[in-house]
Amino acid sequence: MTTDRPMLEIKKLSKSFPGVRALHEVDLTAYPGEIHALLGENGAGKSTLLKTLFGVQQPDSGEVWFEGERRSFSQPSDALHAGLAMVHQELSLVPQFTAVQNVVLGREKARAGFIDWREARERAEKSLGRLGFDARMDIPVRRLSVAQQQLVEIARALAVGARLIILDEPTASLTTQESEQLFALLERLRAEGRGIIYVSHRLAEVMALSDRVTVLRDGTLVGTRTRAEIKNETDLVKLMVGRNVDAISRVERSEGPGEEILRIEGLSSAEGVADCSLSVRRGEIVGLAGMVGAGRTELVRGLIGADRVTGGAVWIRGERVHIGSPADAVKAGIAFLPEDRKHQGLVLHMSAASNATLIKPPRRRGLLDRRAQREQTRALLTQLNADIDPGYPVGKLSGGTQQKVVLARWLKTASDIFIFDEPTRGVDVGAKGEIHALIRELAEEGKAIVMVSSDLPEVIGMSDRVVVMRRGRIVAELSRSQISEEAIVHHAAAS
Amino acid sequence: MSNHTTLERKSATETPLSAVRGRLDVAATARQAGLVGVILVLVLGFGLARPLFLDGGNLMNILLQASVVGVLALGQTFVLITGGIDLSIGSTVAMCAVVSGLLSHSLPVPLAIIGGIAVGALAGLVNGLLITMTNITPFIVTLGSMSIYAGIALIIAGGQAVYDIPTGFQDALAGRIAGVPIPVLLFVLLTIVAAVCLKRTVFGEHLTAVGGNAEVARLAGINVKRYTAAAYVLSGAAAGLAGTILVARLGAADPTLGADLLLTAIAATVMGGTKLAGGEGSMYGAAFGAIIIATLTAGLTTLNVQAFYQQVAVGSAIIIALLIDQVARGRR
Repeated sequence: MTTDRPMLEIKKLSKSFPGVRALHEVDLTAYPGEIHALLGENGAGKSTLLKTLFGVQQPDSGEVWFEGERRSFSQPSDALHAGLAMVHQELSLVPQFTAVQNVVLGREKARAGFIDWREARERAEKSLGRLGFDARMDIPVRRLSVAQQQLVEIARALAVGARLIILDEPTASLTTQESEQLFALLERLRAEGRGIIYVSHRLAEVMALSDRVTVLRDGTLVGTRTRAEIKNETDLVKLMVGRNVDAISRVERSEGPGEEILRIEGLSSAEGVADCSLSVRRGEIVGLAGMVGAGRTELVRGLIGADRVTGGAVWIRGERVHIGSPADAVKAGIAFLPEDRKHQGLVLHMSAASNATLIKPPRRRGLLDRRAQREQTRALLTQLNADIDPGYPVGKLSGGTQQKVVLARWLKTASDIFIFDEPTRGVDVGAKGEIHALIRELAEEGKAIVMVSSDLPEVIGMSDRVVVMRRGRIVAELSRSQISEEAIVHHAAAS
Repeated sequence: MSNHTTLERKSATETPLSAVRGRLDVAATARQAGLVGVILVLVLGFGLARPLFLDGGNLMNILLQASVVGVLALGQTFVLITGGIDLSIGSTVAMCAVVSGLLSHSLPVPLAIIGGIAVGALAGLVNGLLITMTNITPFIVTLGSMSIYAGIALIIAGGQAVYDIPTGFQDALAGRIAGVPIPVLLFVLLTIVAAVCLKRTVFGEHLTAVGGNAEVARLAGINVKRYTAAAYVLSGAAAGLAGTILVARLGAADPTLGADLLLTAIAATVMGGTKLAGGEGSMYGAAFGAIIIATLTAGLTTLNVQAFYQQVAVGSAIIIALLIDQVARGRR
């Protein structure tokens, strides 16, 4: 492989923002027929590297060579035309368009000024069919699953003739099964001689899939290793954080859970949740596992009144409560930390202080007390081990710090019940461990915790009990001794 | 020694250097300082060309011109912050002018004024309820109500201006206190009240959150619909006040007022740094925007620039202001 000519060569690329050195003389070489993993904690410079490569931002210095030519793209479409495609974490399809429309977008063939839809359809079918796309091509892609949308995006890249494909956290919201299908596809693309750069936080995937790994830390290159040079995931973690981080280990807690805090009976919702019953006790962490789309998020959203509930009842500390809106849930003492922090957890251009005190901003003589707002936030975030300026817009913080801001918001309330939806999605390895520790601390303090997670090691490592959902229903409940990867997958996937 | 290690730990986490630069309050202050700078440059520039421009009476007159648009811009800022838009304010001005003018014929002056403002608030409430109870976008709802309110103004005025406004009405809203025109005093006062309301009250904080991200606000237990409707009520009430001020200043209630007021008010608002996308806005910015536009118009008139060319100049100024703002934002 290394005898081939490199496909992409990034040489000493540097990029600074005011006060931040985002990239410093980073090199990266990718070959055809190679899956190259790009690793680093959040804030390590991966996104900046990709953005400067694709011309979203211009580098301060350094060179990019693609297929033997020095290139400098001024926008992503230039890169695409050169044969360099990016599949984003947040997919960049036109949601209202069908798969066919999306695949041919920008390259529609016209006859007498009219788009030739038959030809477009054939073209889309050809490229999508090859990828194993089995969903409808004539409905808006927003109604497809994330995995299917991802295939549409890959198909579009291939249809343009992309020879190097860069995937940014492609499995972040895929189920295990969907991820495996994607890996098979990537391996096929590799066999065709295409180059693949793969950005991921999931070390197991990196170990299974990649030929070489490049690691960034604090904007600098730590190094590039071949797969053979890496013994195990711990090696990768060491490269990424420069220190040892324990894998999620199960912690035996001092005492067992206490009395029942939350009881849901027969909850059904307009979003497909059917007859779900669940009980959570004081100091207990209940993991909610299942495939993406199994209805876990919908169940917790129904519980907090964010989706319309069509049946069922909720008791809190033995008392029947009616929760018709998120405002009722707040009053009932339920804290909800949504999966999609950027769209549901944080007002991105408001300050960390405004976000952290959103539920009950501190007042003084009827007016908002900005100073107390900052001080409270600073105190909370220090407690959560995030040392940032509370006046800073929260959109510019790293994923882990953002999650801490959301958590800080709820710590100020008197909530007894904490619901985490994918608490560590998009969070780097170091912060992940911290968030796990914080969740455990909350449990120790006597909170009842529900944790929705697709990260199996997380579910297994954290939960006292695991409830598995499938197609909107609860299909299994595993006690501590029954929890295992096999058991969860078995229940989540069985038909 | 221990100090040294703390510092190191800090810099390893989240770059306090950029934190100072990126702080939101610092950025907002910088933008307002820029707007004040623009006003000063305009005033001095026109003053150099025509020294009479710097006459106190002339400057006061500019503020008077700015005050009606300014009051409208304050109301519009509340709405734009929620991510909506209120296209009906021009028509609401006309409707409220006519209502208060007619009321002044039979009711005491204070009640006529309050009546005009109340009709504005009611018009805003109708907008707010339609927007929050249906899925129709603010643009469409207020486009419809713009036409409806304009029609109502013409209907109740019988198609012509309402005259015979009592002098008490004119004194109350167009008189002077200590030499300062009352509309200017109201404009300054309301700017401060609106700014405090937006930045220093829970109402303003929650309204900003609703506009920044309605789903986040809803999940945090904020009643999004109530806040949204409230913004339109404030905008309508501001239009009501603007309408009564115009009645007092003109001594008549013209049912065809308003179309150009709408566009100028929106221009002043966005010039002041309020984003049409919602979640970000400044009352002082809106007020400064109104003053900039009034200064520019007055200055060009002083220089004998024809009205047609003035329109081109004001329009260009709006676009240039937003371009400068964008460049400044990009650098932050």
